[in-house]
Amino acid sequence: MSEIEKDLPMENKEALTSLLFQLADDDFMYAYRGSEWLGLAPHIEADIASSSISQDSMGHAAMFYSLLEDLGAGNADNLAHMRIASERKNSILTERVNGEGYYMEVPHYDWAYAVVRSYFYTQAKKIKIDSLCGSSYKPLAEIAVKVKMELYYHRLHWETWFKQLMGSTDVAKQKMNKAVELVMADFGDVFSYGNQKLEIEVSRLIESEEDLKAKWHESIKPVFLALQMEAPTIPDLPSKNGRNGEHTKDLDDALLTLSEVSKLDPVAIW
Amino acid sequence: MAKETFYQEYEIFSKRTPNSAFQHQFSLLAPNEDMAFVMAQENFMRREPVADIWIVNRKHVRKMDTEEKMTLGRLENKDYRTTKGYGYLKKKWRQYEQEILDEKEILSWGGERK
Repeated sequence: MSEIEKDLPMENKEALTSLLFQLADDDFMYAYRGSEWLGLAPHIEADIASSSISQDSMGHAAMFYSLLEDLGAGNADNLAHMRIASERKNSILTERVNGEGYYMEVPHYDWAYAVVRSYFYTQAKKIKIDSLCGSSYKPLAEIAVKVKMELYYHRLHWETWFKQLMGSTDVAKQKMNKAVELVMADFGDVFSYGNQKLEIEVSRLIESEEDLKAKWHESIKPVFLALQMEAPTIPDLPSKNGRNGEHTKDLDDALLTLSEVSKLDPVAIW
Repeated sequence: MAKETFYQEYEIFSKRTPNSAFQHQFSLLAPNEDMAFVMAQENFMRREPVADIWIVNRKHVRKMDTEEKMTLGRLENKDYRTTKGYGYLKKKWRQYEQEILDEKEILSWGGERK
């Protein structure tokens, strides 16, 4: 353990742990939902490209979980697989199902929703990661610099899909606009730090919620302007705040599936 | 639009045998595709076996700008995606192969279906 970690005052450690769980759980659930698209995306290259992005994102989650492990929060794999919903701090947006049905049976997933969720989420992630590169917690800043490297491609990938479909047929536009509404309805807690807001901001672990929201809005403006559309606004109050452990049934269902194998034999060596 | 000049730049690709992959060889100046073909053949491929040639006008090549090149960065944390992450499997496999496969073991593979 480095000197910095040992010297963290108590309140600061609670804020740091909370923020790390938010980042880790976000990427973990986002990657999990992405993985459910395997074999189902519109064509084979899209399938491989989006699955690869999901795997990268799972890699980012693993990096954040390992920071938590270093702080004594527990084993990274267990943090990812074994925690119950009320202990999770991911945003509601990342836990939402991909559409109707289940991928093992008859999935009727919505690609427009996947594109909009991924684009808006990745853009938000980029804003956070840029800010985290200057975090007061050095190990987190170092991880952020690494994650940033892969975000260039993730962001370009989803922005390209977004522009293409938004500029496509009337049916495509209609589906995309519906997806934008769905995604924005869940966007209220994406930039929230939950009940650790004050401590997280005062400790300068990352910039304020308000600053990041404004930056996100500025960053998507030009894309919407080019499409002659108005950029959506982030709801002020989330109906549920995932950062405080408030979640939907979608998360319970996802946790049952994703922890099924690791719970079969918790002591197995992988 | 940029002013059209008489000479244009062509990128030349070729392969040595019918089954090998095309490789970028060089670029040359020519007024059109047909001229580029004969120039490529005569100037650069006289002494080598060639099975096929492709000519691409350079203006038709979609290149990456500096910002786009940023998207090529990758992290070195992907052992699990490559077979080298599973190097231990060979040893594990051998261990299982050496265990005696008795009837009880084989029957247990069917498992119980829910």
